[in-house]
Amino acid sequence: MIRHLFTLIWNRKKSNFLMITEIFFSFLVLFGVLSLAFYYLNNYNKPLGFQYDKVWVMTLRWNQEKPLEIKEIQSRLKQQLKSNPEVEGVAFSSVNTPFTMQNMNGGFFYNNRSVLSSFYQVDEDFAQVMQMRLTEGRWFNDQDQSSSYSNVVINEALRQALFKNEPVIGKVVAGLSGDNKNPKTRIVGVMEAYKQQGDYSEDSPGYLEYKKLKKQADSTNVFFNTLLIRVKPGVTSAFEEKLTKQASQIAKGWTLEIKSMNEMRASHNKVALIPLIVFSVVCGFLIINVALGLFGVLWYNINRRISEIGLRRAIGAASGQVYRQFIGEVLVLATFGVLFGVVVAAQFPLLQVFQVQTSVYVTALGAAVVIIYALAAGCAAYPSRQAARIAPATALHEE
Amino acid sequence: MLKNYLKIAWKVLLRRKFFTFISLFGISFTLMILMVATAMVDHLTGSHTPETHMDRTIFINFNKMTSETKNSMMNSVPSYYYLQRYVMPMKTPEKIAIGSTFKGVNSYVNNKRLSLDLKYTDANFWEILEFNFLEGKAFNQQNLKNADKLAVITDYTRDQYFGSDVPAVGKSIVVDGVRYQVCGVVEDVPISRFNSYANVWVPLSTSNINKGDISLFGEHMAIILAKKPSDIPKIKAEYQHIVRQIKVPDPQNFDRFASYAEGILEGVVVRQLFGSRYGDDSGMGKFVAVVSLIVLLFMLMPTINLVNINVSRILERSSEIGVRKAFGASSRMLIGQFLVENIFLTLLGGLLGFLLSALALQLISSSGIIPYAQLTLNWRVFAVGIGLSLVFGLLSGVIPAYKMSKLQAVEALKGGQL
Repeated sequence: MIRHLFTLIWNRKKSNFLMITEIFFSFLVLFGVLSLAFYYLNNYNKPLGFQYDKVWVMTLRWNQEKPLEIKEIQSRLKQQLKSNPEVEGVAFSSVNTPFTMQNMNGGFFYNNRSVLSSFYQVDEDFAQVMQMRLTEGRWFNDQDQSSSYSNVVINEALRQALFKNEPVIGKVVAGLSGDNKNPKTRIVGVMEAYKQQGDYSEDSPGYLEYKKLKKQADSTNVFFNTLLIRVKPGVTSAFEEKLTKQASQIAKGWTLEIKSMNEMRASHNKVALIPLIVFSVVCGFLIINVALGLFGVLWYNINRRISEIGLRRAIGAASGQVYRQFIGEVLVLATFGVLFGVVVAAQFPLLQVFQVQTSVYVTALGAAVVIIYALAAGCAAYPSRQAARIAPATALHEE
Repeated sequence: MLKNYLKIAWKVLLRRKFFTFISLFGISFTLMILMVATAMVDHLTGSHTPETHMDRTIFINFNKMTSETKNSMMNSVPSYYYLQRYVMPMKTPEKIAIGSTFKGVNSYVNNKRLSLDLKYTDANFWEILEFNFLEGKAFNQQNLKNADKLAVITDYTRDQYFGSDVPAVGKSIVVDGVRYQVCGVVEDVPISRFNSYANVWVPLSTSNINKGDISLFGEHMAIILAKKPSDIPKIKAEYQHIVRQIKVPDPQNFDRFASYAEGILEGVVVRQLFGSRYGDDSGMGKFVAVVSLIVLLFMLMPTINLVNINVSRILERSSEIGVRKAFGASSRMLIGQFLVENIFLTLLGGLLGFLLSALALQLISSSGIIPYAQLTLNWRVFAVGIGLSLVFGLLSGVIPAYKMSKLQAVEALKGGQL
């Protein structure tokens, strides 16, 4: 039966060519959009690595002060803000805090391997303010202050990419400098995750680097542009103005901007979803378009074959058999389109085009196949039922 | 003749309503999506208030330092020093304006935070760009010289800070801890026009610019107005002449300095996405190729669909074709008739598409996805839409019409196969 159907379609390949092409393109478009959707979903389901609720972000822009003066003001600023009873903790961070468009990265070297990795410069209170979770090792503490190494906490993604199953705690590696002979970076801990680019982004390799505001060796650079403030539960945004006033008394003439991380997250996620929404709308429209076209053409074709149906019914085919034949024909047609589509789509995971996990592609491929078959069967259902209902006498009479 | 064809076309449309619906749906929605896309591009790069003279305005938004051997690149906004030293002395332009990149600042009204974007500008800024002033006026050269603490604010800022539609000129506004006196209120500017966008504009001379800083990178951008559109190449040439003489400040890591004066589409969108990393090529050719390919692919599916439907429709009418052929109609005449019919259908779909896209643009504008953006259908977008409808009509009409014309009269009368 199935072989018979395949020959039937194959023999009419010229007149079916357009429909097969259409199914082929719909399949590719669906595959693309579904890959994106599954990629987002996959990322969304993984832990963010920190708690954004109740965290306020204050960005600092200074004028023409020298690094030492800036650091002095920053240190007083932290003391002052911390002294408020509404504030639970205050931490410094480099400009690339979560839910910003800012990014700093470089190669992280170990032995002969290196991986492009984001880095975040933070102070000792960062872990407590952001409520980070560790899977191994410890956070920065007092003994790191005087250490001659640059102390870092890496995330699981970086460990997986570079160290696999080797123990990493206490290891001294080349790190960002890439100098294998004179390694300066010491790993003190491993954190669960740190999705700085928001919920829908991948947890890519990254590490936190410990910086002390008043370390002599770093006196010519200013690392921190951002103050993270965790407020106690129940503190409302009315407290913001007081905080800003307090801060501008100490940092005279600086530009200070406060935002709540909750708000930043909402708007960041909205922006991240825009491509998916646009593609889904376009894809949805194309699919509806194709479905309607398929439906119309099938309806027309089946109506043209009334005499054939009448003949089959007259020599004893049950209406169920006619129904199954027409549905079967359409599914075979879809199979041709899908087969070509799969050949093209399979190149993405095979060639690792966008460095996305293979599982995302495989799920998207499976889902696209199911949707295309459902669509084809759905479009064929009504015309096929009509064909099956034709009484043999009427059909033959018309002929 | 044409009138007859159109009459037939209309009757055919009414006969098989479902097929007509499918065709119209396909055409109108495809056009809607293409037109929304063109409206977006037009919104980003076309002439809109306040950037009204886009045909003779170019921008300097980025400076670039590269080294191909060291694989290093730095691409960032020019500094105030750079613009003063190298751009302001240029001879060919009519006017040059300098503005800072906008920065987020806080302001407080009744214990509530108001997040505003602030931009420092010079006086030329207000002469080159034509803002829509609701009240008051901009600050001038004299104010700039005196470093007067004046501010132009937007509609939105006024409504949030002073209350809805309360006159604001002469009142003072505290932004970023500094008190400015409001001298003008303008209509909101969409954030996508970042050369002009802000919520509050204040004189450049009130900002703290470090006079000793001679770095080429900073946070200011230049807007250049030419006397007439044909002067643009001359200005570009003059600018490149200047740029070539600038020495790279950090020869250890970089060996080439580049900067371009160009339109928004080329400089901000295309060059940043497609431009060559170390060379001068802006990537415009690549961009045009990619966009055409996408549009073509996107239009391919609805077109195949239409061809499919049209083939079926024509088959239905094979007896009509047979009769006409038997009475001596040539293939060319029949092709002509079917093309006219198809283009008629397409234009009808195009018209529907316009209505739909007007609706969609209204929805997008009011949803606030792009803050303060008012996407509108204008004549340029309209022209693109009409052109696309025609291409569409031809693409989907030619194949079925050709197939049909090859039908033999006898075959056709019998209701034959294509």
